Amino acid sequence: MSEAYPGLVLLLVLQVCAWVLLLWRCWGVLGYPLDCKDEQGSIISCTSISLEKLLDRVIQHAELIYHVSEESCTLFEEMFVPVSMHTQQNRARNTCITKAFPIPGSKSEIQKISDKWLLHSVLMLVQSWIEPLVYLQKTLDRYDDAADTILNKTKWVTNKLSSLEQGIVELIRKMLDEGLLAVEHQQTLTRFDAQPEVVESILRDYAVLTCFKKDAHKMEVFLKLLKCRHTDKMSCYIS
Amino acid sequence: MFANNSCEKKGAGIMATRLVFLSLVCGAVSVSVGEHLTTSEVPPKRPYFVDCRSPEQETFSCWWSAGDYQNLTGPGALSVFFQKNRDVWRECPDYSTAGENHCYFNSTYTSIWIPYCVQLRSQIQDIVYHQMCFTVDEIVVPDPPVGLNWTLLNISQTGQHFDILIQWEPPPSADVKKGWISLVYEPQYRAINMSDWKPLEVERACYQSVYGLKTGMEYEIRVRCKQAASEKFSEFSEHLYVYIPKVPTKETLFPFTMILIFGAVGVIIVLMLIIFSQQQRLMVYFLPPVPVPKIMGIDPELLKKGKLDELNSILSGHHTFKPELYNDDLWVEFIELDIDDQDGRSHHSDTHKLLGSENLNGNCLNIKDDDSGRASCYEPELPDSDMLDRSQAEAREEKASLLDSEGRAAHSSTTDPSPPGRSHPGATAEGASRSHPQIQSQLSSQSWVNLDFYAQVSNITPAGGVLLSPGQQSKIEKTAEAHSSPKTQKCQLAMTTDSAYTSEMDAKNISATPSLNGNEPKVIVSPYTVSEAPASSVPPVSDYTTVQAVDSQQSLLLNPSTLPTKGTPMPAGYLTPEQLNSIMP
Repeated sequence: MSEAYPGLVLLLVLQVCAWVLLLWRCWGVLGYPLDCKDEQGSIISCTSISLEKLLDRVIQHAELIYHVSEESCTLFEEMFVPVSMHTQQNRARNTCITKAFPIPGSKSEIQKISDKWLLHSVLMLVQSWIEPLVYLQKTLDRYDDAADTILNKTKWVTNKLSSLEQGIVELIRKMLDEGLLAVEHQQTLTRFDAQPEVVESILRDYAVLTCFKKDAHKMEVFLKLLKCRHTDKMSCYIS
Repeated sequence: MFANNSCEKKGAGIMATRLVFLSLVCGAVSVSVGEHLTTSEVPPKRPYFVDCRSPEQETFSCWWSAGDYQNLTGPGALSVFFQKNRDVWRECPDYSTAGENHCYFNSTYTSIWIPYCVQLRSQIQDIVYHQMCFTVDEIVVPDPPVGLNWTLLNISQTGQHFDILIQWEPPPSADVKKGWISLVYEPQYRAINMSDWKPLEVERACYQSVYGLKTGMEYEIRVRCKQAASEKFSEFSEHLYVYIPKVPTKETLFPFTMILIFGAVGVIIVLMLIIFSQQQRLMVYFLPPVPVPKIMGIDPELLKKGKLDELNSILSGHHTFKPELYNDDLWVEFIELDIDDQDGRSHHSDTHKLLGSENLNGNCLNIKDDDSGRASCYEPELPDSDMLDRSQAEAREEKASLLDSEGRAAHSSTTDPSPPGRSHPGATAEGASRSHPQIQSQLSSQSWVNLDFYAQVSNITPAGGVLLSPGQQSKIEKTAEAHSSPKTQKCQLAMTTDSAYTSEMDAKNISATPSLNGNEPKVIVSPYTVSEAPASSVPPVSDYTTVQAVDSQQSLLLNPSTLPTKGTPMPAGYLTPEQLNSIMP
């Protein structure tokens, strides 16, 4: 046994190395660990994070969420949506219900929005999507195993959304010096009430995914605009 | 005239037929065309939107085609209406900026994430040929990147390959800086003469390294981009040309050095193989085996256990071999044997002993001869032999010494090629008749210094005293060799040189033999015994004598001494001090 011991140790070391390598690649996906340094550069405990780093992390989250949601959308379209309905017309027909307060779409208008409104818009978007995604997970369970990847992605996105929400709250607190006492989850209008038929349920889920993808894109763009303003205020206001 | 009329008539007829033919053909064609048109399922292609595109997510434009309706190709033949967010339908604001058949929507009309629908209508606005719905973020196809350039990173040591870093700028229309749009880029490269483009990684950064390009070859590089989550790539950028000339010196030297190195390695490997395969031979050649100490005539096999007899026989043949094997015990046993044999002592019994089953003859005869010519009948004892061997050897020695004496006696008759004395008692008798000085001469002895048991008798006084002198052995040996037959010679010489002593019995025997034949007395000298040699009669053999004088040449003059009183028992071979005192005058 004593002879096998060095072999076992070596095997264990190799395993650890393999896992480290695996996880190292995933770190880029999952986001970089918090690097809590104060202005002098010494590492302190992560009680606080600088605004730039917080903003970077939030943007990272938003980018990832958008990327994954786009993948889910494409996958769903390939797997379940009939070919005849792949045209852009049908995509646009599944309109997404607008939120409580309309968000302007044009770039010029968006650039005129203040930081406060941008942040609040993003927060609202994030909060409005947590419930529908949970609902989507339930409906995706009813599909066969082909939807497992989409289901996993949806679960992942839901988790990331919650952490993004926390980040936005923190960002609001730092940038706007506002304290949100409680995270208000606005009850969104249930968009799809009726008991659907099969085809309709597919289209409904597809619509959910598509709309979520759009909103994820919105979040990303808003946050990036915010970052530009934070870093270089002068050039960012010039359209 | 007449011909003209006929020609005219004929021409008219021909014309008529031609016309009929043509009409028929036309009819057929039209009918077929008509049939074709009526029976085919494919309607004429209606005007349709080819595509809508937004290059920077701030404006977008849509363009259409008239299809098969050629009359609608002109400007103003068709109109575009759009609906923004399910609102009211409005007509295209700009037909001209983007070109013919294009409808351009500037930034005021463009809202992202909001559904748009466009319709292609006829001018009269009552026929909708085509409708398309989209959101602007889905139709983003950026412009190609600009500003391609490259920098050299390094050239390999061989000068065959090099690495470069290529850089570019995002399309100027895309507002990447503000973060309005996020682009990813894909560079591609190929060698000029190749047909396939090699794509590199799709990355967000506006630079990328290209490794492993070959010197002396020209390369083409191009880049394209797309929105991060989209699948539609932009057009390719302008091509960039990269070329680095070959460095000739490095290239020419490199193969030679490599060939040298590999050749040397190959030669070394071959040498190693040869060495290892021929290891034994090479070892023998370069490092010849050191000659093992070899005793001539002795096969190393004999040194193995169990072959002591043969070894003894061989070893005893060397005249230089000094058996240091005779310790006191042997001497004692030797004497004991004498005591045992005293009663039964007779010439015949001795000879019987000699002729016993011990096959001394056989040993003598079977001894392998070597170059030295000194095979031995005599078998000296080895120290590690046990008592039995020793006793056997003693017996042999005793007999050998007897043989020696007999042999010597035989040898004394030089003229007579007598058979070896060991087998013939008669020879012994003959030998007894030998002349006195010959016997004397044969009684070779070694010097007193060597502590051998024989000393040469140089003279005998009339009174019976014996003059012993050392150091004339070799001379006598040579004479002995010259005269005797080889085998007897060997035997005799062996007896002479190697034998430590003769027994009293031998001495008495030798002395007795002349009495049988009535010859002159012989004198045999041993360090311990001396026999008187009176001129006429056989003197009684006494064991000891006294040294009367010592010559300058280290010769000893021995006096014959009276026998001790017969009553006193003679101890075996040595005197007690009292006896000595009694003997000494």
